[in-house]
Amino acid sequence: MTEPQSLKPKLKPTADGRVSRDNRQTVGDQFIDNPRMTCRDVNVYYADKQAINNVSLDIGSNEVISMIGPSGCGKSTFLRCLNRMNDTIDTCRVTGEIKMDGHNIYSNEIDVVALRAQVGIVFQKPNPFPKSIYENIAYGPRIHGLVENKTEMDEIVETSIKRAGLWEEVKDRLDQPGTGLSGGQQQRLCIARTIAVGPEVILMDEPCSALDPIATAIIEDLIDELRQHFSIAIVTHSMQQASRVSQRTAYFHLGDLIEVGPTSRIFTSPRHELTEDYITGRFG
Amino acid sequence: MFKKVAIVAAGVFLLTSAQMTSAQSARDYISIVGSSTVYPFATVVAEQFGKTTDYKTPKIESTGSGGGYKLFCAGVGVEHPDITNASRRIKSTELEQCQANGVQDVVEVKIGYDGIVFANSTKADSMNISRKDIFLALAKEVPDPNGGENTVPNPYKTWKDVNESLPDKKIEVLGPPPTSGTRDAFVEMVMEEGGNSFDWIKALSKSDSSKYKAIAHTVREDGAYIEAGENDNLIVQKLDSNPDAFGIFGFSFLDQNTDKIQGAPIDGVEPTFDAIADGSYPVSRPLYFYVKKAHVDVIPGMKEYLNEFTSEMAWGPDGYLVDKGMIPMPDAERNQFGADVKDLKTLESVD
Amino acid sequence: MNRKIETESDVVIYPKKTMDIVKRGLARRYRSERRFKFLGLSAIVASLVFLTLLFASIIGNGYTAFWQTFIRLDIYFDPHILTKDNLSRANYPGLVKSSLHSLFPDVSGRRNLRALDGLVSKGAAFELRKMVLNDPELIGTTQSIWVTADDDLDMLVKGHIDRSVPEIARRISNLQLSWIDTLSDQGRIRKQFNTAFFTNGDSREPELAGIRGAAVGSFYTLIVTLLLSFPIGVASAVYLEEFAPKNRLTDIIEVNINNLAAVPSIVFGLLGLAVFLNFAGLPRSAPLVGGLVLTLMTLPTIIISGRAALKSVPPSIREGALGIGASKTQMVMHHVLPLALPGMLTGTIIGMAQALGETAPLLMIGMVAFIVDVPGGFTDPSTVLPVQIFLWADSPERAFVERTSAAIIVLLGFLIVMNATAVFLRKRFERRW
Repeated sequence: MTEPQSLKPKLKPTADGRVSRDNRQTVGDQFIDNPRMTCRDVNVYYADKQAINNVSLDIGSNEVISMIGPSGCGKSTFLRCLNRMNDTIDTCRVTGEIKMDGHNIYSNEIDVVALRAQVGIVFQKPNPFPKSIYENIAYGPRIHGLVENKTEMDEIVETSIKRAGLWEEVKDRLDQPGTGLSGGQQQRLCIARTIAVGPEVILMDEPCSALDPIATAIIEDLIDELRQHFSIAIVTHSMQQASRVSQRTAYFHLGDLIEVGPTSRIFTSPRHELTEDYITGRFG
Repeated sequence: MFKKVAIVAAGVFLLTSAQMTSAQSARDYISIVGSSTVYPFATVVAEQFGKTTDYKTPKIESTGSGGGYKLFCAGVGVEHPDITNASRRIKSTELEQCQANGVQDVVEVKIGYDGIVFANSTKADSMNISRKDIFLALAKEVPDPNGGENTVPNPYKTWKDVNESLPDKKIEVLGPPPTSGTRDAFVEMVMEEGGNSFDWIKALSKSDSSKYKAIAHTVREDGAYIEAGENDNLIVQKLDSNPDAFGIFGFSFLDQNTDKIQGAPIDGVEPTFDAIADGSYPVSRPLYFYVKKAHVDVIPGMKEYLNEFTSEMAWGPDGYLVDKGMIPMPDAERNQFGADVKDLKTLESVD
Repeated sequence: MNRKIETESDVVIYPKKTMDIVKRGLARRYRSERRFKFLGLSAIVASLVFLTLLFASIIGNGYTAFWQTFIRLDIYFDPHILTKDNLSRANYPGLVKSSLHSLFPDVSGRRNLRALDGLVSKGAAFELRKMVLNDPELIGTTQSIWVTADDDLDMLVKGHIDRSVPEIARRISNLQLSWIDTLSDQGRIRKQFNTAFFTNGDSREPELAGIRGAAVGSFYTLIVTLLLSFPIGVASAVYLEEFAPKNRLTDIIEVNINNLAAVPSIVFGLLGLAVFLNFAGLPRSAPLVGGLVLTLMTLPTIIISGRAALKSVPPSIREGALGIGASKTQMVMHHVLPLALPGMLTGTIIGMAQALGETAPLLMIGMVAFIVDVPGGFTDPSTVLPVQIFLWADSPERAFVERTSAAIIVLLGFLIVMNATAVFLRKRFERRW
């Protein structure tokens, strides 16, 4: 796996000490101690087109890592590799290694259904099932056989909705359709639905892009709280959001992971010229 | 939901397959196929039989004479029909086919006659016409009007062209398509006879039968003859709305619609009930049905159905079949066939 | 449109020019818009006119068939004729005749008496028989009973027979006319609702013919069709849309299914004849076989509409289910299929409506037949509504004309109900994503 890397041009620092725009090698702290998931040399292809190019990144426990970058940079594609959502696309092919608990999640010994119970995902557009609020939450625990009886189920539903900060708003109408809630409530319902299965990692794919600023603020607070229980990887278009909710930030550019580092440093003193271009609004 | 549907479907299947086996081992109704000309008469008998006895009403399919023979001769057994109706006699090839398939004994029953009429709307004048005129008006190839023993494509546009004594009206005839038994009978009884009025054509029937058929059996296709489909009611309706047109169909349709249409006298004879019954009207054909003898004792009610059909109440001169437009046979012929049915006399061969 | 405004004069000229050009074109644009709207509207109006004409002619021809003429006769249930041991076979026609003859005692001669008897339907005797068998107490009494009139009398009362045409060209003689007028003056003739039309099977006597046998036959046939085509169609659609690999084989299958939808229905009849009758040995003329043949015919419709319904379920729902760890089958069964079901039902109902109106494939398997008894099961010989219409349309008796139209009205009624159900289902369960 070292060969493709060697094809990349050598680091060429510019006059002010930044890494030049021509450079595509990752700079910064992509590896950390005690990671929850480790990704090494991940390549993703859609048919013949390469969408992700040799990305290596660690995702830590109880942290929020945000992935930013211009449209089409591959951040969503990379996120979806983490629980194999890309499997549904026939032409999609993934190489490299994504490990969780010492197992490559793309190896045969890992069952994709079990993996997704462990690594949940929240999508860009709120997509509650066209069923009751209760059923939306209960569906995951039921198919995985997590509960024995109705009381346990009620308990899971209640704690999940409470954790998603939605309980006060819906506790009296659990039997009403989830699709009848407002956009922000629907998104929190989707988060509660993901939590109910008891995952360890939650992936969020631009969870607030369809929401108004108030709903966004509520979700952002929620993400911060959830960090105590879960590892969270969030893809976002909004740099403000990234800086508000995440501890680490990874910047993607045209399929390459350009720079990783603590959020505060990335936004104050980026080491790569491309990162700087992006956060200063020169493109993107 | 799906489980339920699947269970119901499986249940229905089991149930029907159980029913099926019972239906296969025995049939408690008579199955009849055959001619659409006999259909209106056979159905009346069947209904009468069903209402006055404890047997089920026979099932009658209208398949045409040829189709009826094919089904009838397919074999012996409850899956094959018991009786076939026909507006023409069985051919020797068909009888051989029957015997080859194990249908050895067939009882032939002639039931009466059906007249084929040449009719137009009552809004127009009636037209006295000969078979020769009809042949000249409708054949594709007609003898050269200038004389000589050769044919030319039909040049006649109006009836007056055909015969000076006929009115100066466009030739426009609605008739049955080639698949119909009525068409066969019409060709045989009118077109052939019309052709035979020319001696040299008549001679051809002996010397060169394929050429004879090409002349006498082929109806013109230039629009003067319009194939109107099997539905005779439709022809009646079209005649009603187009007084210049003539139509060719069975007598029963004339009988039911005398207020709208009139039959043209052919060779001077009007298509009346009596004229057809005594044989003076030239265009009439016998109607038959054929019975599979091997089924008579197997299918319940067969004998009683035959009795009903051959009773005076049905096929007699005052019977209910006459009300439906069938022309009864003369007494002697009726008695003859009635006795044959009683004895179940089998048909040995046809010529 | 990269027009840069550089000089002062340009500022004035360019916008004016644009507006001028736009204005000049506006009238033409609106004209063509109006023309297009007009064409569309006239197309709709034309089709509505034809539809109205069709309905008007059918209803105009057929509505009279829902009424039937009856004659009131004073029937003496003669105990000499109705003896205990022959109640079911007694001379009931004799009862009707003697009652008629007593109304016109001066009619004599065989021919005239026959003409008189002809005023009452043959069915009248069976009506009396049924009454006596139900209630033997009637024997020995005289009852005033409304019996069904003959179809010729019925046609006269309904105005389908013209009194002004000469007697020779009329189905009803002058003598019969005078009797009918007498009866009418005595208040012995009236029209009432034609229940026989809905309770009887087929008959060769128009006044006794009904659609019950054909309607029940259609019902059994459609039940078989529904029970087979819906599960098979849905399962095929789900497999092809959700599970089948996309390769050359599935492409061929898809092309073939689309082809099957366009195959003339008679071909399915021939297939049914060869496979179900000749090979499998199923009984002729049975709703079971009819249903099997119509299943073959409707399957493509159901599969195609089912796939369309599955396709219309948004991917976000699929992702949502997969994202919390549902397996593919769970995703399909728990989420996609329930959401696609209304669309599939709509397709199924439309397929059923198609099957209900079909005659051609049934011709081959012997369902075009004269069948009087109302079928009692899936293997009894039976016919279906459109076949009944076809058979009546071909019958010589004048009175079948109105009955044909009446049967068409009933069939159209069924079709409208089915299609309205489909529209209702679509409206009711349609989701906007």
